Amino acid sequence: MKFLTASVAALALLSSSEAFAPAAPLHSRVKFTQLYAGTKITMPALSSTMKEGKVVSWLKNEGDEIEAGEAIMVVESDKADMDVEAFEDGIIAKIIVQEGEMAPVGEAVALIAADSSEVEAVLAEFNAGGSGGDATSAAAPPAAAPATTAAAAPEVPFSKIDMPALSSTMKEGKVVSWLKSEGDAISAGEAIMVVESDKADMDVEAFEDGFLAAIITKEGESGAVGAPVALIAENESDIPALQAYAATLSGAAPPAAAAAPAAAAPVAAAAAPKAAPAVANPAKADGERLFASPLARNRAKELGVDISLVTGTGPEGRITAADVEAVASGEAKVKKPAAAASTKPSWTPAAGVVAATPTARALAKKAKLDLATIKGTGEFGRVTADDVLIATGQKEPERKKVVRPGAAAVEMPSGPVAMTGMQKAVSNNMMATMNTPGFQVSRDIEMDNFDALYQNVKGKGISVSALLAKAVALAIEKYPIINSSFSPENGGTIVYKKDINIAMAVAIEGGLITPCLKFANERSVEDLAENWKELVEKARKGGLKPDEYQSGTFSISNMGMFGVTQFGSILPNGTGGILAIGATREVIVPCKQAVLGMKKVKQMTVTLTCDHRQIYGSDAALFLKELANIMENNVNRLTQ
Amino acid sequence: MRILVTSVIALASSAAAFSPIITSRSFPATTLEASKCGQYDFDVAIIGCGVGGHGAALHARAQGLETAVFSGADIGGTCVNRGCVPSKALLAASGRVREMKNDEHLKSLGITVEGEVKYDRQGIADHATNLANRVKGNLEASLVGLGVQVIEGRGSLTGNAHEVKDEATGKIYTFKDIILAPGSVPFVPPGITVDEKTVFTSDGALKLPYVPEWVAIVGSGYIGLEFSDVYTALGSEVTFIEAMDNIMPTFDREIAKMAERLLIRDRPIDYRTSVFAAEVIPGIPGEKPVTIKMIDAKTKEHVETIEVDAAMIATGRVPNTKNMGLEKRGITVNRGFVAVNEKMEVLTSHDEGATVIPNLYCIGDANGKMMLAHAASAQGISAVENIVGREHVVNHEAIPAACFTHPEIAMVGPTEEQCIERAKAEGWTLGKSQGNFRANSKALAEGEGQGIAKVLFNKDTGKVVAVHIIGLHAADLIQECANAVAAGTTVQELSMMVHTHPTLSEVMDEAFKGAVGMSSH
Repeated sequence: MKFLTASVAALALLSSSEAFAPAAPLHSRVKFTQLYAGTKITMPALSSTMKEGKVVSWLKNEGDEIEAGEAIMVVESDKADMDVEAFEDGIIAKIIVQEGEMAPVGEAVALIAADSSEVEAVLAEFNAGGSGGDATSAAAPPAAAPATTAAAAPEVPFSKIDMPALSSTMKEGKVVSWLKSEGDAISAGEAIMVVESDKADMDVEAFEDGFLAAIITKEGESGAVGAPVALIAENESDIPALQAYAATLSGAAPPAAAAAPAAAAPVAAAAAPKAAPAVANPAKADGERLFASPLARNRAKELGVDISLVTGTGPEGRITAADVEAVASGEAKVKKPAAAASTKPSWTPAAGVVAATPTARALAKKAKLDLATIKGTGEFGRVTADDVLIATGQKEPERKKVVRPGAAAVEMPSGPVAMTGMQKAVSNNMMATMNTPGFQVSRDIEMDNFDALYQNVKGKGISVSALLAKAVALAIEKYPIINSSFSPENGGTIVYKKDINIAMAVAIEGGLITPCLKFANERSVEDLAENWKELVEKARKGGLKPDEYQSGTFSISNMGMFGVTQFGSILPNGTGGILAIGATREVIVPCKQAVLGMKKVKQMTVTLTCDHRQIYGSDAALFLKELANIMENNVNRLTQ
Repeated sequence: MRILVTSVIALASSAAAFSPIITSRSFPATTLEASKCGQYDFDVAIIGCGVGGHGAALHARAQGLETAVFSGADIGGTCVNRGCVPSKALLAASGRVREMKNDEHLKSLGITVEGEVKYDRQGIADHATNLANRVKGNLEASLVGLGVQVIEGRGSLTGNAHEVKDEATGKIYTFKDIILAPGSVPFVPPGITVDEKTVFTSDGALKLPYVPEWVAIVGSGYIGLEFSDVYTALGSEVTFIEAMDNIMPTFDREIAKMAERLLIRDRPIDYRTSVFAAEVIPGIPGEKPVTIKMIDAKTKEHVETIEVDAAMIATGRVPNTKNMGLEKRGITVNRGFVAVNEKMEVLTSHDEGATVIPNLYCIGDANGKMMLAHAASAQGISAVENIVGREHVVNHEAIPAACFTHPEIAMVGPTEEQCIERAKAEGWTLGKSQGNFRANSKALAEGEGQGIAKVLFNKDTGKVVAVHIIGLHAADLIQECANAVAAGTTVQELSMMVHTHPTLSEVMDEAFKGAVGMSSH
């Protein structure tokens, strides 16, 4: 079973076929016929040991016109799968043995009528019992249509290309490559795609003329045997309709723009020749006129000197024989060919010449790009494969990287890297916030007093984080709505929380986590500071218990230490607010009491993000006002 | 060299044992004067010193004949200097470049190459030149060592039988028998101007003066195909221009279709068929491209013009039989080809009533029977056999041929299409069996599972008629098949012969066994 269907090898051929003399010529495809009312196609003997065969697939449907020599079905024998060819022209009137069914060698599998007028006569004879009377199979519905919930097929003449069965064991096939692009004209017998089966890669040929309207199974994708992989339009104008239909088959939304490029393509193609300048006699590359005396030219020829490289010293820079001799003797230096080494020569292709390499042409065709729109960088300004790939964005243009002397070039990481579990969790948590209608409110808080307090207590191990958590917790006490969360229950419920648990974001190796200071309003700042230290330590080691990082009711994200002045946070799900804290910086503010009418203060910008379903702007404003009040005027409350 | 000398003695002594007359002759001949062969200067003259002439000379010496070769200053001929040999060097080097640049393939073997694979064009070109020189040297040494008189000039016939004139010195020598082995030169169709720089034949291409970005190859036979392999491996893009309706028209259709997939479609190659390159105008590298105007092969209407960096003309070869005095002996050539009978004796013409010209033979490309180096050599040996009175006929059906692309293509006997015709005409039944590289452990180990080997045989007698292989090392696999064709071995016999495991030869084993209904695995 290592035979290729398209070019099948048979061990022993046709000795039992009635249509053939014993010395039947060997052919890679089987030909046979038998006289009938029209013609009866019988199950051929594909090997000397074959007693019965299975119709793997019909390459033609009832009503299809067939031509002599055209493959019409694939039959599986004990040795190989083979294409079976029609022996004469006609129309398939009746398929008796359906795909997947077996028939003994010599039994009729289909009926062929000479032309459409005879189809009925053939069918009548068949129904009258002309055949063995395999009524059940004759009445059986045609091979199950591909299981899709596709939209109704457009009412244009088209056909499907199905994934062929390339071997008896093949269940599905992978499209290795499409040899034709959507919109290409195809003719019967032409290879249109390469399919990889469990046995071999093989070319699949088109069975009829038409246009490749839509590719359903893309390169690299697999399809079940018998499932449609592409649609063939009879008329080029039907391509957009079939592409829309194909989109429903492949399960993807119909590409809105699908019709547009197809329609635009011929226009672009028509425009192309116009774009190519009709210059028959190309100008000299540099366009520079060469002034040289006839004697100089002769001397140059004699001495083997390229006269275009000689610098002229004669009138108006004319090259003299002496100039040539000077170059030949090495006295004068050769002119550098005008940037010829670094740049490609400019060249105007003759009329009608497509200045593109074979691969560039193929790629542009595939990408439906007009070559005339691409600037070529190849020899003679020719468009190369790279030029097309850069135009389609599949390849990055070569960049001239400036590297500081002594410094190594920076290598940017590139490409996909799998996320860690924590990174995935962050990603999921962030996505879960997408339905929260958040809003942001910012204000500045003067920090002189807070900072003075911190300087005072930091000796006792009290951190800014602990002080901030405490301040926020105290402000929440006054405006508990900030500590609430929204629940969709009963069409909307505000869930108040008795505990004020302040979660603070900590960046750790490979992720982000929010350890939580519980009951921050109730505990002393010393306690909070000690607890925070412990939590951060655990977070770094990955030892936080779920309760220690999932129990926050309000969050703080502090990026002040990085010099960030202001930013907004995303509100974690299940909470009502998060406070983003910027850096404390010194600013000049107007002050009537001050000598110069202004004074220098320390200031910090905080931005609160809230869930607007239950927290309103005024709530946020009042909360921030209270926070400012505590931090500016009542810092001693933090250490009480 | 030591081996050569030893074999000389062995041959000489065995020859002596069978033909006592020869023992009286001086050996080796050191000067022309010293080698008088009765009424003639020498027993045999060989005009041309390619692989055919060389093979004939060696065999003539083995038969104890006093032999002179007119080398025309071209020992080794086309094969060694401008053909098979240097092209194998280019293919070997470029094949490695292709392999090492094939990340996917290397990765499947667990290999990664850091950085870019680079090659030195001049280095590769030198490899080809050095190889050709070395083989040429070996050839010359073997001739001298065996006592063949090498005459530098080109030999030509005079109006008299038994005479050959040294074109270089004008001196005329006499010989009992004369073997013409002048070989062939590349055929350049009208309208094509060859400058051997931007428009070249295989002669110029082998020098690999530069690697063009885009090269057009006119003709898609062996030579064109091999060069497309070299060029694409080194980074060029290729356009084939083929006058016939199919690309690779001389190959078996099934093999050609497979070759199209393996050697053309997956590479930066495209092609035009049914068109002539009606006009090819050379360019100037970096300044002006090569212009190729194509016309439809049937309607002769202009179809397309392309501007490429280089064009290689690989449209076949024509006999190198001009100006060698053939007409003086009453020989009429056809397109340069010399008519011969199956004993390689020269006939007056290709017409039916042609008669044999006594003591004159023609071997190799010049007779057009089979334009292959090893066929020429076989014909040369055959001609000498006939000269010494042992009637011999070369079985051309058993001469294998190979195309050294990656993977290789090899064949012996007619194409399947021709087999079908022949079976029909001669009234026998054709059988066909196929072996697959994808089913072969060694091929899979190499990651080279693409390819088939098909055996075509006479079902009535079991004899192998033809074998066509495309796949890894096909050129080496074909020998067993050629031997089978030559010896009339049947598929029944072949199917019972044991093939080494695990080797590529098992692809043939599978095909032979399949032919008799056995499974090999």
